[in-house]
Amino acid sequence: MRKILAILIILQLLSVNMKAQEWVVPDDRKGRLSTFPFDDNTRSSGQKIYNLNCMSCHGTPGKSNYLNLVPPPGDPATDKIQHNSDGEMFYKVQSGRGQMPSFRSVLTSDELWQVVSYIRSFNKSYKQQFRAVISSSAYPGATINMTLALNEPDSTFILTAWADRETGRVPVTDAGVRIFIHRTFGHQAVDEEKITDKTGKAVFKIPLKLNGDSLGNVTVSARFVDEDTFGTASKDTVLAAGIRTYPVSLVKERAMWNKASKAPLWIMLSYILGVLIAWSFIIIVLLKIRDIYITGKYIESAESEKQNN
Amino acid sequence: MARSIYNTDIHREKLESVSSDILRNVRINKGFIIWMGILALALAACVFAYTIQLKKGLGVTGLRDATSWGMYIATFVFFVATSLVGMLISSVLGLAGVKWIRPIARIAEIIAVAFAAIAGLVIVSDMGRPDRLPYVFMFGRFQSPILWDVTVVTTYFFVSLMLWFIPLIPDLAIAKTRLNGRPGFLIKAYELLSVNWINHDRQVKIMHQAMRILLILIVPLAFAIHTVTSWLFALTPRAGWDSTIFGPYFISGAFVSGTAAVIIAMYFYRENYRLSRYLTNDHFEKIGRVLALVSIIYIYFNINEFLVPAYKLKTHDAIHLRELLTGHHAMLFWSVQLLGLVIPVILLLIKRMRRPLPLLLISAVVLTASWFKRYIIVVPPQEHPYLPVQNVPIEWMVYKPTVIETAVTFGSLILVLMIITVLSKLFPVLPVWELAEEEASAKGEENKQ
Repeated sequence: MRKILAILIILQLLSVNMKAQEWVVPDDRKGRLSTFPFDDNTRSSGQKIYNLNCMSCHGTPGKSNYLNLVPPPGDPATDKIQHNSDGEMFYKVQSGRGQMPSFRSVLTSDELWQVVSYIRSFNKSYKQQFRAVISSSAYPGATINMTLALNEPDSTFILTAWADRETGRVPVTDAGVRIFIHRTFGHQAVDEEKITDKTGKAVFKIPLKLNGDSLGNVTVSARFVDEDTFGTASKDTVLAAGIRTYPVSLVKERAMWNKASKAPLWIMLSYILGVLIAWSFIIIVLLKIRDIYITGKYIESAESEKQNN
Repeated sequence: MARSIYNTDIHREKLESVSSDILRNVRINKGFIIWMGILALALAACVFAYTIQLKKGLGVTGLRDATSWGMYIATFVFFVATSLVGMLISSVLGLAGVKWIRPIARIAEIIAVAFAAIAGLVIVSDMGRPDRLPYVFMFGRFQSPILWDVTVVTTYFFVSLMLWFIPLIPDLAIAKTRLNGRPGFLIKAYELLSVNWINHDRQVKIMHQAMRILLILIVPLAFAIHTVTSWLFALTPRAGWDSTIFGPYFISGAFVSGTAAVIIAMYFYRENYRLSRYLTNDHFEKIGRVLALVSIIYIYFNINEFLVPAYKLKTHDAIHLRELLTGHHAMLFWSVQLLGLVIPVILLLIKRMRRPLPLLLISAVVLTASWFKRYIIVVPPQEHPYLPVQNVPIEWMVYKPTVIETAVTFGSLILVLMIITVLSKLFPVLPVWELAEEEASAKGEENKQ
């Protein structure tokens, strides 16, 4: 039943795509702004994310070398993409459409804004507006913050969220929250979505055999599921929740795929010996030609001496 | 004491007649200049095509993501294959004591030198950034067949060049006094290249030692060069290339195209250089048999190469084989297999077909088919990559050579022809010294009887 439903939804989505060439962004999302100003740091982070996730289809911005797909992905440096507001761009990358995948669970809000920051660097007439204060419709006028802590005996992460108003601090309750662990190629979700309790706390179970670095550290990141209601507050924290791992470099041992100096010994020896043997014979032959020359010269001069005598 | 071939009257008489027959063609005549002029003009057009490729990049060729090896690499494999005949004739048959190859050995070496010399250049034409060629040596990895290939092609070229040059030394010495009316630079070159050869016993002995080293060395080298060329393909897991018999499959195929090339050259020299006294019907009869033999061996390897995967039909092999046997490439595939292999073998079994003219025609078809055979080995397997791609233009997946690419490929063939022309017009194409000795000893035996 679920499968059929899923297929129906996909078909529905596809047919919507077919009909609606225009990519409509909900009005309340259009005006959304980044919570931080774009600078060289955000641009370079954005570039890294772009190169990993976007470049394979959109190409290098400004070079129009995007993939020849239907509909065409387009070059982010061109008007076609630059005419979007920051909010529209954010929405489109986050939600995806048709062949463009959704990056909702791949990139955090901050990372999405960094991508926007990078794309905007190709638009000289662009002037950024940003919203420094994180607003929340549930806690109007308040600044929302969260912390993450490790509860080692229970093997859990404890998230605490609160809102600071002029009148004082209150816990953020009934808010859906998720946490992720930063990994090389994306984020690893921890446990499921949790709802903050009356004290603004949510408890996440740490997965078994969670690999950390050599100190057991992992970078944990928390955010609200409904960012429109609770704002884009997020928290990155390094916690010693993982197992200590000592990664061995794949290029440490001699191997076929390794660089020349790390080639398997047998192949190095075979190559070098083969070349040496072949070329030493060639040199011997060259010396033989020299011998022919010297012999001829010697005998000729001997003969002519004989004749002179 | 110096042993001289001028000692006996028979020798002198024979030497004079043989040398006048063969050296008659060593000259820079109008024909040579016109022919080289035509080649140079055609080459200029091809070089122009190459400059476009150099400026605009490999995008001007039909090469794309999926099929990144096309005509150029097919031509490279074809050239390497054809050059292998030097080893077959001089070494395999020569060391086995086969006498009739004497007048052919140098022709085989000319073919070997010309094709091996340009094979490396063809690789450069396949590079988008030829200025990075030195990187192969600067950053080459011992694990990479590309490095092995560059190494063996270079080595094989040098050894072939010496196999051509060393038996030429006595001829140069004989010829240098008989080149009246030829340009001064040629006589000087002969003087220099004949390295003081006076046909002294000691010199003859040294030359034999050098030749023996080379003739033995060239066998593993020739096997290496073409096996490594086959490994450029077989060391990948791609369906159609992923084969354990690719080495012998390539080598047996090489002997087919090389022998055909030698036959064409033999016919050309016999007719144009009026050398039918030395390149007799019997020589054609014998080399016709060699062509039949190597073709049969190659058919055997073809059966192995296609029947074994076609019996198992593993998913990706099935896609590849279907395209080849009944699909997009079927026409080319069956033409090559039938016209280039099966029918020639059947014809060659008939004695009349091993006469010079029919043999020439058969060889021309075989040689042409050999090139297309390399095309079939190189191109179709790339059209079915393991990682599927969707929604990309058809030309990304299906390779179609462009005019520029074809012109550059022709350019490499023209260079081969130019080298062959220079080697066969400025130097004797048949071994004067050996043929004089052979005729003399035959005459001597007759006299004894």
